[in-house]
Amino acid sequence: MSYRYLLHTAIYENALVNPTHPAIRFQKEEFTYGKLAKASNQLANFLINLGVKRGDRVGIYMNKNIYSAVAIYGILSAGAAYVPLDPFAPIDRLSFVINDCQIHFLITNEAKKDNLKEIIHKTALDGFIGIQSNSSLPIPSYSWDQIFQFSSSQPSIQLVEQDLAYILYTSGSTGTPKGIMHTHRSGLSFAEWAVQTYQITSSDRISNHAPLHFDLSTFDFFASAIAGATTVIVPEGITKLPASMARWIQDEKITIWYSVPFALIQMLERGGLESKDFSNLRWVLFAGEPFPTKHLRNLMKTLPKARFSNLYGPTETNVCTYYHVAPLSEDTDEPIPIGIVCENTEALVVDAEGIPLPDGQIGELLIRGGTVMKGYWGRPDLTDKGFFRRSMFGYCEDIFYRTGDLVQKMPDGNYKFWGRKDRQIKTRGYRVELDEVEAALLSHPAVHEAAAYPVPDVEGSHLIEAAIILVQGGNLSEDDLIKHLSGRLPNYAIPAKIIISDDFPRTSTGKINRRELQEKAIKNT
Amino acid sequence: METSTILHNFILDELVKGRKKTIGDDDDLLAEGIIDSLGILQLVAFIEEKFNFTVPDEDVVIENFMSVNALSKYLDQKLATKH
Repeated sequence: MSYRYLLHTAIYENALVNPTHPAIRFQKEEFTYGKLAKASNQLANFLINLGVKRGDRVGIYMNKNIYSAVAIYGILSAGAAYVPLDPFAPIDRLSFVINDCQIHFLITNEAKKDNLKEIIHKTALDGFIGIQSNSSLPIPSYSWDQIFQFSSSQPSIQLVEQDLAYILYTSGSTGTPKGIMHTHRSGLSFAEWAVQTYQITSSDRISNHAPLHFDLSTFDFFASAIAGATTVIVPEGITKLPASMARWIQDEKITIWYSVPFALIQMLERGGLESKDFSNLRWVLFAGEPFPTKHLRNLMKTLPKARFSNLYGPTETNVCTYYHVAPLSEDTDEPIPIGIVCENTEALVVDAEGIPLPDGQIGELLIRGGTVMKGYWGRPDLTDKGFFRRSMFGYCEDIFYRTGDLVQKMPDGNYKFWGRKDRQIKTRGYRVELDEVEAALLSHPAVHEAAAYPVPDVEGSHLIEAAIILVQGGNLSEDDLIKHLSGRLPNYAIPAKIIISDDFPRTSTGKINRRELQEKAIKNT
Repeated sequence: METSTILHNFILDELVKGRKKTIGDDDDLLAEGIIDSLGILQLVAFIEEKFNFTVPDEDVVIENFMSVNALSKYLDQKLATKH
């Protein structure tokens, strides 16, 4: 393997050695490595011509399509960083991100046209890329036809691995989005580890389910490119239809699937998996939130040929632990561990003062290694708070990222996840882990999904409330459920109120939106 | 009321909830984020209740749920074979 220090190098290597191999697929369209490299260079030269410089930020705002890959690699090849925007986010949030990291150009598509006028109004954008020029917009637009007139030779821009490659915005705990900065190095450290760990080769076909603003997508694109494999983008419409998604995996002969557990649980429940041919699928990877054990066990039984692996890590660190799921016992719904620490990563478990704890004790997980982010865009205060400086080997200092997650190292080397530090609440003086409450709710066979959240009470403390979704055709009264919980939780941890709902609000990345549930509950009290 | 009008009203009032003022009968409901995955489940539940028949999982596919037109065509077909 050659030495790589930039994220985009891999597509140009593949364009030389394997130019006709498919790099990216979307619906009926396909770009080979040769074509992807050519188009990416043309976009890069076009951007440079527009005035985009090394270190600038260029936004990607479109429904995913085959040009998403060209956008990513074109921006990187121009020496800039890409900033993927949630295509379904409200305009105010988009405008915040555009203004926050001073984006001047947006790569977009016709489907987003209706929103562009309002965005221009609220930002200082200089132009749109990827749509026909349009007299109704007060700033210029440039079409792909115009871009493909540019030279396809690779621009000579000197970059180093510490240069910014992408910024992923996540919701901050205060509601203001934070821009997580990743460099070519932090992206590559993760992607190369993933290629090694999952033994990805050019014959793999990797699905891309996650939106670009979700860090799972960096696996789908960069690990695939490094291995010379094919990334197959799941069409947006299909992601909502489990039966269509299952058929798509079969028809596209996907070999590696990576998504949040929710997408897999939906397919298990409503995808008709038994009648599909998933013989090509060799890895089912999941991350983002814990996979309820009972669903995971059923999924593993339904897909006996695939191997399953849980990846864990905050967006700030890429992935830091992984667990190849061993066969799950029938008689316990004990959550699976988050796994062992990645080979290129160092983990520390510390107490509230930052003092390392002996193995076996529960504490906050700190992470050191090449996959850790550079910091939060424009927020040195948050960056400083997120990093823990520690003297190493008695002669130098280095930084660890504070994950805010509570973990415990087990005797076999696997780490067990105990929940978020900030998901630990006090109710009537008792410390309660909300994740533990959810796990207890989920242990009832009629409960499909569960969310627990704190609601302030009149005494200035918190009550716990929970919302659940029942399994299809399930029947359960609040009383029965409370009876079930009382065998598993201390009295003070049993929710004061349990709401049975048909559905949960979700974040754009598919996780349960507990904040919205909580806000609704507070409004109702 | 015609099937398409019933669907149109439900989607606009219950699923879109003011995020968009109008939807065209051929608008791609899924790709444009007009309906999310929970919206699909709500829509299926609504159809099952309103038209009094069970939508099998294998029918909840893109061909049938892509637009108001596609969905009313599917429903009209199903209802015709039922009666």
